[in-house]
Amino acid sequence: MRNIFLIFRRDYLGYVKAWGFWLSLAAVPMFMGVGALFAAFAAQSSPVRYYAVIEPGHVYADAINAQFRHDEAEEQDQAEALSDTMQLPAQAGAPGNIKAIRERKFVEVPAPATDLDGLRPYLLGERTVAGPDGDKPLFAAFVLSSEGGELEYWSDDVNIQTLRYVARDAMRQLARDTALAGAGLSTDFIDTAEAGAVKVPARRIRSAEEQESAGAEVTLADRAPVFVAGGLAYFLWLMIFSIIQYLLMGTIEERSNKIFDTLLTSVRMRELLAGKLLAVFAVTSTMMLVWGMFALGGSAVLASRVPGAGSVLSPFMAAAMSPKILLPGLISFVLGYIMYGVIFMALGSLCDTIQEAQTLLSPMMILLMLPMFAIFIAFQDPGSRIVEIASWVPVFTPFLLILRMPHDPPLWEVLAQMGLMAVTMLAVLWVAVRVYRAGAVNGASIGDLGKMLKGMFRKRPAQSKSPARSL
Amino acid sequence: MAESPLVLTEVTKRYGSFTAVDRLSLDVPDGRIIGFLGPNGAGKSTSLRMALGVVPPDEGEVRLFGRAPDIASLKRVGFLPEERGLYKKMTARDTITHFARLKGLSAREARGRADELLETTGLGEFRSTRVSKLSKGMAQKVQILATLAHRPDFLILDEPFSGLDPVNQQGLEDLIRTEHARGATILFSTHVMEHAERLCDRIVMMARGRKVFDGTLADAFGKLDRGASLDVEEGFDLAAALLPKGFEAHRSAARGHGDAWRIALKPGQGPQDALRAAIEAGAPITGFAPDEARLRDVFVALVGDAEAARLDAAETEHALREGALAS
Repeated sequence: MRNIFLIFRRDYLGYVKAWGFWLSLAAVPMFMGVGALFAAFAAQSSPVRYYAVIEPGHVYADAINAQFRHDEAEEQDQAEALSDTMQLPAQAGAPGNIKAIRERKFVEVPAPATDLDGLRPYLLGERTVAGPDGDKPLFAAFVLSSEGGELEYWSDDVNIQTLRYVARDAMRQLARDTALAGAGLSTDFIDTAEAGAVKVPARRIRSAEEQESAGAEVTLADRAPVFVAGGLAYFLWLMIFSIIQYLLMGTIEERSNKIFDTLLTSVRMRELLAGKLLAVFAVTSTMMLVWGMFALGGSAVLASRVPGAGSVLSPFMAAAMSPKILLPGLISFVLGYIMYGVIFMALGSLCDTIQEAQTLLSPMMILLMLPMFAIFIAFQDPGSRIVEIASWVPVFTPFLLILRMPHDPPLWEVLAQMGLMAVTMLAVLWVAVRVYRAGAVNGASIGDLGKMLKGMFRKRPAQSKSPARSL
Repeated sequence: MAESPLVLTEVTKRYGSFTAVDRLSLDVPDGRIIGFLGPNGAGKSTSLRMALGVVPPDEGEVRLFGRAPDIASLKRVGFLPEERGLYKKMTARDTITHFARLKGLSAREARGRADELLETTGLGEFRSTRVSKLSKGMAQKVQILATLAHRPDFLILDEPFSGLDPVNQQGLEDLIRTEHARGATILFSTHVMEHAERLCDRIVMMARGRKVFDGTLADAFGKLDRGASLDVEEGFDLAAALLPKGFEAHRSAARGHGDAWRIALKPGQGPQDALRAAIEAGAPITGFAPDEARLRDVFVALVGDAEAARLDAAETEHALREGALAS
């Protein structure tokens, strides 16, 4: 244990004392902050744009305005629904808990001309029109075609399509309303009919006693385990993804420093590997911890500003602490980390240069993308047959078992998959230690990998005397 | 009798069809300085790595302090590998401390020992300097100090003089003598015979994976046809005078007012023995010159000119590097 600690300590301090570590540590919150600021700034800095509609009456312009109001109302509804899901208490006196986020950025102004030729200088920015946001050129104009079958959208900037899409939806709604009116029906009639539809509320089936105490309502506590399991699986994936460079570069450095012989006369190979794996684990954990604290700080600020945010977090905490998730999660996490970690470390021991390691990165990325796809599928449909089968593949098990846990898979399956994962981890460890030894001690290169693997499983010839025990 | 720190019995190591070490047997007695000699590729480093359990032998047995090499027996060993390697971003002090702690010293002991060694070897002012900022020679000294820091009972040094300038080579020779005086057994490999001649009680010579000689320096020189030149006053019959004492002398030339005689030494006879015998026989001696035997000559006698040429090539390379380092 002492040797593992000493190897761990040296490697850990070696990593965290490097500038690169602090840069990557600061980079994520910094980029997140800058990204959030940029997004907020981009939303606010988007200019108010004017548009005009040329038509005999004001039917189409009204329809577009009505569509804008409809979309805004829908956004408001979604914000309130989110507020309900998060069980945020209603603010006294406020019409809704959350106000619509988007401010309308397209404003209709009276058309300064009656045809497209007359509008041309306004659309090309040569002339301006007066509007609520001051004098500006026209961003776009809708011109009803002479046959009346098309409402042409004219603009100098064809990349921003928001206004056109709103107009397209407005035209559909207008056509629907006109058709209803032609059939002698009003829009209110349809709304009333829809309001009378039988509701399909979600209910959680529980034992009679539980239902009596907890009720049948689907709450955040019912959904939290899925989110927590998904978060854990993604966290494991992220952790493995971020250790690749540490394991590769660290091993290459030691190989090029020719330090293995010295180390192996002081520590056992397994102690060396364990110390190194722990150090890299601790480095990534430190990063995650700092980022987590940053996120927690952000949440605390949010909780102080948004009443009820604390009550949102508690079901997630409870799910994370539940033995049903925690235990298989921890086991999968440890076994998965060791399994992938030793593979990368063994491959790194076969490389002399960073260039050589970079050629290995592509297959490693592909290897790592496969579990990511599996996580996506499992997150959408954890009960799918593909996920069930894939969870038996040991390289996917660490991720998929965690994801399946909230859906109560049979106990025998959980135990069998854990057992299979443990056996696979040991087998991978066995091979990886030998590859690592061949690379680190005997200077084998990536080209020797096939030969090495073949040699591992070949029966050794009988020896005249017992060989010295290998460390 | 003290236990031998290292015993190799018929160890063989093959890499594919190439036999790096072929049935090597070696007993390193306690408290000796042993030189492990041979040209590059003779199998010295592989033998030392097998001795330490870094690579297992294909055949044969390794006993380190009476047991197969394991962490407990290796704690008593200090090993300087041929291919030098240190953590480049660590300071000199941290490097020595780290390796000393891996050998079992407490943090406090290890730091104290690192400071002591750095001070006594003149590297005190560089204790906080990163290894990457040290000169190659200084970095090598740091590695040697890391090897010694835990006061090992047995030092295995693989080509310890390579890469050092003549001043530092002398310093290392002194350090080896100091460690020996402290009670450490020392086994070092080299292809430069002079170091072995100055330091070793015993030498082991390797060529093409095989041991070609194992014995004391006297035994080694005994392998050569050795002799001495003795000048005596004209007219004295040295052959007749020395014959009863067991020495063979032949008159080789006249020299001024005297005669030059050549004495052929038999195994077990030294030049000083011949001189003493001549004095006892009443020879009027005017000059004496023992043959200067070198280990290289022993090596040539044992393995032939082809292997000796490989040794010469290695020595030339070493001398060139030494010259470059000195300048």
